[in-house]
Amino acid sequence: MKASTLISFLTAMVLMVLATFASAIELSFRFNDPESREMRAALDQFEQENPGVKVELQTIAWGQSRAQFLREAAVGEGPDVVHIAFVWPRDMGSAGALHPLNEFIKSKPIQNGFEDFIATELSIGTNGNIYGVPWTTDTWAMVYRTDILEDAGIKNIPRSWGELREASRAIHEKTGKVGFGFPGGSASSNTIWFLANYFWWSRDYALVIEADDKSFKTGITVQEIVKAMKYFKSFFDEGHNPEAMLGVNSWFDPSILEGMINGEQGIAIMPPQQFKQILAAFKERNPGKNPPFITATTPGGSAGPKTHLGGRMLGINSNTKHPEAAWKLVEFMTREQVLTKYYGNQFPAQKTPLQSIEFGPALGGFAEQLTLARSWGAYSDGPAQIGSMWDDTGRAFGSAFIGEKSFKEAASELLQSVEKQLK
Amino acid sequence: MSERYFVPLMLAPVFVFLFFFYGFPTLSNLFYSFTDLSLLGLKKGGSFVGFKNYIDLLSSKDFFRVLWNTLFWLTGFSVFLRIVLGLLLALLLNSATLRYYRLTTFSRVLLLVPWATPPIVAVVVWSWLLDGRHGVINKTLHGLGLIDTPIAFLANIHTVWPSIITIILWNTLPLVTLTFLAGLQSVPNELMEAADIDGAGAISRFYHVTLPHLMPTIVVMSLLLVFWTFNNFVYVWLATGAGPGLFTNVLATEIYIKGFIDFELGFSSSVGMVMAAMMAFFGLIYFRFVALREFREIM
Repeated sequence: MKASTLISFLTAMVLMVLATFASAIELSFRFNDPESREMRAALDQFEQENPGVKVELQTIAWGQSRAQFLREAAVGEGPDVVHIAFVWPRDMGSAGALHPLNEFIKSKPIQNGFEDFIATELSIGTNGNIYGVPWTTDTWAMVYRTDILEDAGIKNIPRSWGELREASRAIHEKTGKVGFGFPGGSASSNTIWFLANYFWWSRDYALVIEADDKSFKTGITVQEIVKAMKYFKSFFDEGHNPEAMLGVNSWFDPSILEGMINGEQGIAIMPPQQFKQILAAFKERNPGKNPPFITATTPGGSAGPKTHLGGRMLGINSNTKHPEAAWKLVEFMTREQVLTKYYGNQFPAQKTPLQSIEFGPALGGFAEQLTLARSWGAYSDGPAQIGSMWDDTGRAFGSAFIGEKSFKEAASELLQSVEKQLK
Repeated sequence: MSERYFVPLMLAPVFVFLFFFYGFPTLSNLFYSFTDLSLLGLKKGGSFVGFKNYIDLLSSKDFFRVLWNTLFWLTGFSVFLRIVLGLLLALLLNSATLRYYRLTTFSRVLLLVPWATPPIVAVVVWSWLLDGRHGVINKTLHGLGLIDTPIAFLANIHTVWPSIITIILWNTLPLVTLTFLAGLQSVPNELMEAADIDGAGAISRFYHVTLPHLMPTIVVMSLLLVFWTFNNFVYVWLATGAGPGLFTNVLATEIYIKGFIDFELGFSSSVGMVMAAMMAFFGLIYFRFVALREFREIM
């Protein structure tokens, strides 16, 4: 071959490669859970199925993700596809941060159809625009170490809040271990918000309810808030939840997970993702041994056990330069096969695959709790920000726990703050 | 070009830089502090509310607790401890005893380790050391029989501030120590010898010779520490998140909580302006008692 021909051929090849890269669509996907390695593998499969599309995986902690995305979206920046909580799309859509998905859902349907997804009402704004596609769902359940319950002489799983406290006390008194070790910290994304609401809902109270005239108001009294504060504080006062837990905020804090894995703690509350991590870690450290865990529904009051129906959605940034490609990514990520293969720690937020999931005996508590879970409802429909109420609740409980404020003072301030936000 | 225009022209780039990176953000913050701007309403902007944010802030029950935490615990007490301990440590490092045992260089290198540690790493490490369930400090104290039950250092209202100050001291004391050490080594030997000949003891020599010589360094160091500590966010936020409850909330964490958790950017801006006003006051003190004097000495 002549040198000039070879050079021309090589030049053409180089130009073709450059042209391919130049014309490749580059998307970014921001993901907030620990399974980033599995997500990267899922994105690699998406890229194989969609040549010409490259996806960058960004990760961020949940605590910072909402504010970070809102700041970015306000100035025309941010990832193309975002991983958001169930209760965020409506506010983010109103803020102009998310791209409406109505046209995509109509013209490029998603697997099993949009109607097959649960909690879709949370993704619809007041203007009728759909701002998110539910991706995963979960709820919280109680996790018990059966060996510790046995050592403490506890024969039955606690079904009421009083029984839970008695079981926790018995574990500590008879075994010296931590009973119900729940985080009592008051920083943002605290756990006490969930526990307090489960306590209130099970007694038929709620921080926010919708009135008959469609307005929103508080559905609780100062006395009921005080009851919850005193109840959870008693665990610290009696010593079966160590004082150190006042400095722990997250349900997935290593001290809780480690406590359950190595048998220092008898009872915890958490979503299935963390429970699966505990199971996996226990099996790895104790090969051949049967994991001594059982899951059960949360304690119930007069209205029965109640937890929130939680989950995640996928949204598209209103600033994206490639909305169609972003929609392709959303459609891909919500496929049942993709979720099963790459995101198995979570339950799919779709009715069809949910019905076919084999929960197994270990996850039975979560399966039962899912049937009892309620949506945030008026909390997210009303004008108050869930994030603000979450934070206010954590701080109010925290102040009461440490004695900085009296129960009544802390409870009154919390109620006043929520009432102010509902105006 | 005449000197009349040359000097301002040479200074112009600096002032442009200062305006864009300091002046403009400050003026923007001032503007937002008079609005009800929310993080969810960034695209639409906020409405003008006058002095409402400032009135709400100054009339808030929590404001004076936050101010006390910032002025006394975070700034005053920690700066005082750093000055005193820094001076003592510098005296130790400069002592003949360490020189006799050839430990001077080793000690100084060891001192650099905490200083070289990024604050976020320092807080994470100390948080684990102080952990109430698995922390080494609790295990050690329990092993020595000094405590029966673990202490939740970062969750107990009696120990949380001392714990935060311990972290700050560990991370920032080396700079103070090394600064004082440099000052100590510049004390003229003749003065020390003269004092010795006059029969002055160690304490007397320190009080009448060393301390007066070090006083300008102590004043400058104190003021700089006040500047660096007053608006510090990292140590408190990472160690306690302003908790337990809001017990360790300081002005810097209040700005973050109001702005990025409660989404009240307008109110958060007003807290920022109050902080800026207080920092400006400290700056005036620095200018009056340090910078102006140095300028006059040069002139």
